[in-house]
Order: sequence, then C-alpha cells, then structure tokens
Amino acid sequence: MGDFFRALINAIAIVAIPLMLFAFLGWGVVKRVKVYEVFVEGAKDGFNVAVRIIPYLVAMLCAIGIFRASGAMELLTTVLAPITNLIGMPAETLPMALMRPLSGSGSLGIMTELMKVHGPDSFIGILASTMYGSSETTFYVLAVYFGSVQVKNTRHAVPAGLIADVCGMLGAVFICRVLFGI
Amino acid sequence: MLNYIWIALIVIGLLVAVGNDVKDEIQNTYRNGVPLTATFVVQKAPTAQRATWEGELALSAESFGQFYGLKPGESEIRQPVSISTAPSGASTFLMVTGPSSPDHWKEMAKSATSKDKLMGTVQSMKFSADEATAEVEIVFEPIRLVKLKAVTQAALDYAATAVTIAIGLIGIMALWLGVMKVAEEAGLLKVVTRLLAPVTKRLFPDVPTDHPAIGAMIMNIAANMLGLSNAATPLGLKAMEELNRLNPKVGTATNAMVTFLAINTGGLILIPATAIAVRAAAGSSNPGIIIGTSIFGAACATVAGVTAAKLLQRLPRYRKDFEPVSQPGKEGDNG
Repeated sequence: MGDFFRALINAIAIVAIPLMLFAFLGWGVVKRVKVYEVFVEGAKDGFNVAVRIIPYLVAMLCAIGIFRASGAMELLTTVLAPITNLIGMPAETLPMALMRPLSGSGSLGIMTELMKVHGPDSFIGILASTMYGSSETTFYVLAVYFGSVQVKNTRHAVPAGLIADVCGMLGAVFICRVLFGI
Repeated sequence: MLNYIWIALIVIGLLVAVGNDVKDEIQNTYRNGVPLTATFVVQKAPTAQRATWEGELALSAESFGQFYGLKPGESEIRQPVSISTAPSGASTFLMVTGPSSPDHWKEMAKSATSKDKLMGTVQSMKFSADEATAEVEIVFEPIRLVKLKAVTQAALDYAATAVTIAIGLIGIMALWLGVMKVAEEAGLLKVVTRLLAPVTKRLFPDVPTDHPAIGAMIMNIAANMLGLSNAATPLGLKAMEELNRLNPKVGTATNAMVTFLAINTGGLILIPATAIAVRAAAGSSNPGIIIGTSIFGAACATVAGVTAAKLLQRLPRYRKDFEPVSQPGKEGDNG
C-alpha cells in the first residue's frame, strides 16, 4: 500500500509540470489568447521579483549564518535538553528541531549526520527524518515571500510560523513514539 | 516580532562566539605553543631539487585524544604532511587537511593563516635506524578567535548565498509567471478557484473567491504538496503579489498573507523526497517508512499554523494595523 502510494505520487510529480505547461498553454490557445505575447508579458516580472528579494534574503541569511557559526545552537541544546527529555524526545534530535525553521541545508546536514551515527532505522534516525519532513524552513519562506512584496511589518506571521514549527516537531515526536516507540 | 528575532540571532551569535573564544583561550583548546609528539612515516626523502620530506604523521587515537583533552576517536590518525628544513636548521611543517583528517584539526585549519592548511614548527626530529620513520615534536601555529573568524566568514558567505539563490530564481520565476499569465488570461484559474471556493472562502475571507490570488495560492499549495519546489516558490510569489494588490497598506502583511504563509511554513508534502533519499543513501531497509509520520507531523504544523494565524489576527496589537485611523474605537467595540 505504502509502496503503491509512493510510486503513484512519484509518477504524478514527474508528469505534473509538463502536464501543467501543456494544459495551461493549450487552454490559452483554445480560448484564443495570444499565448506568446501574454507569456512574455508575464515573464518579464521574473527578474524584478528575484532582485527585490535580495535585501530581505541577505538580512535573514546573514543573521542565521552568524547564529549557526557561533556555536549558539550547542548552547541552546544544552539549555533545552531537560525540557525535551520530559516529553520523550531524545536530546540528539533537539538540534534538528531547532535548526529546521532556520536553515534547510543546516537541518539536512544534521539529519544526515544523525543517520550516519545512529543508523537510519533507529528511533533517532526515523524521528530526525520525520522532523525534516514535518516542517518548512520558516524564516527562509518568510524572507522570500514577504521580500517579494516589500512587506517589512510582518505582524503575526513569525509567531504563527513558529507555533506551526513547534507543533510540527511535537507531532513528529508523538507519532514516532506511538508507531516506533522504545 | 521579526525585528526582535533578527537582532537576537545576531547579538546572541556574536556574544556566544566571543564567549566560546574566551573559553578556548582559557582552556587552551588548540594547545597553542604545546609540542605534540608523533611518528613521521617517511614516504619521500628530500632530493637535490626538493628540500622537503613528504610523508604521513601517525598518531594513535588515544594519544591524540589525550593531547587535546578530547574523547579518543576510533581509528589511528594518519595525516599527510610535508616537512621542510631551512638552511638555518629550523624546520617547518605543512599539512593539508582532508576528509580523513581528525575533526579537531579540520576545525583548526578553518581559522588558520591559510584555509585548510595547518602550519607550524618542528622542534625535533629523531630518525629510526632504517630512516623509514622519525619521532617528531611539532608545535602548531597559534590558533585563536576561531568562532569570531567563523562568524565573520559565515556572514560574508551567506550574503553571497542570498544573491545566488535570488539570481537562480530569475529564470524559473519568469517561466512560471509567464505560464500563470496565460492561464489567467484564458480564465483557467477561475475554474480552479470556483471548485475550491468553499475552502478558500473560510481560509481567506478577505479575498474575493474569484480573485487571481486564490488561483495562485491553490497552485502553490498543490505544487508544494507534490514536492515541486521549483514551481512552488514562483507560484507562491505570484500569489503574494496578487494578495498585495488587495493590501490597503503596502509594506504591512495582511491577514490573508499571514494565513497563506502559515500554510506554507507547515510544509505539507505528500512525499518527503529529500528525507527518503537521505535515508536510502544511509542504507535504510525501509526508506519510505517516514511518509506517514511526516504527513502527520506536517498536518499538525499546518493546522496549528493556520489556527494560530486566525487567532492571533484578533489580538488588538495586530488588529490596529488595519483599522481606519479616523475611527480608532470602532473595531474594538465589535470584538
């Protein structure tokens, strides 16, 4: 069942983009849209949007880079370890939970490292990979999406995003303990 | 909020870096000025053209751990090194750290004078009878302020990364914005949005159900769920642009934008392809076992994020951003 589902989704992922291109442009032809002219008209914004993001992305990534390089993550892990022990979350996976909202490549590195040390089918390995799949890189998404429309006052987006991250991580711990618990 | 988090990341980062450097200095973590005794295994003796000894530095894991006060590793240390003797008699060594080098040396090499290379002086060199090995005493160049150097490097590297990411988006952005424009002109987005109107009406009450923003958001979420991140980001940015058209106060996030971002940061994805690939590479007997658990975790994140966004937007401090200035009390009376 799981394999079938996986194969199905993988197949969809491969044909989705060609199908979307074909359907959208084909529908445009049917509706007598001047497809080439309209496409170019829309596409010319691509450059501006990408360039508009740069200052927001630089600000965000530099702050995250400084935080990561300083070793503050290790300090935070030590401080938070007693709390996470209470909910049955192995201390080894705490850096993963903390890194996930900050950096995609950083959390990927931690996940790979945890699997190398503890094995992919160990509880820690399964939990780390579930955590990786349970959330997005919140701060990156915030910087890129808000940057593209020059939003500086993000209002409640950060608290909402962080609540989502915490719940995603707690959900991952919960489900892994129920299904693969020690 | 982002202001505080942003400055907190930077200030905490700098303070911790300074703290760690002070700690390293007090504990002499890198053993500055302390001679290390090791065995030099000769591979190439000096010739007329070349005045350096090429070989490997061999050191048992125990003595390495003891010297640096670390937990001993598993395997013996074999580090390629070249030793050159100056006419005055003082010898220096140079080691290029690679993947097989001990982590501690790799860490030291990062903040050495030249990147990925460790230098130092050879205090003494006693050859064995057959001249195949020698007992050497070496002192590394002083390694200081490792974390501060790392922090500086990270800030510069990440600034460059940000531009690389943005530039990389240009082409794919243009492609999807073009396709979306065609879909919009052809009225295709209207069909999609009408189908999902019952859901989107509740999630985004401020956005008209047939607005192009709804179409773009649906496409973005669908692309995210299928793991098509190349398509998802441009579609998401298109959605933000459309949402911004409805924004009475440009520069401030609207409720719809925050809800949309909450869905996005939840990261609901049907197949967590990256995690599965890493598991498979690490030799898992069942890499796909995490599909169900990931969907559960991401569903928790998404539901919590949307709920949080909906609840937080009612708070007076977030509501006041969109209240008419002339009637400050009106919105408050209704709630």
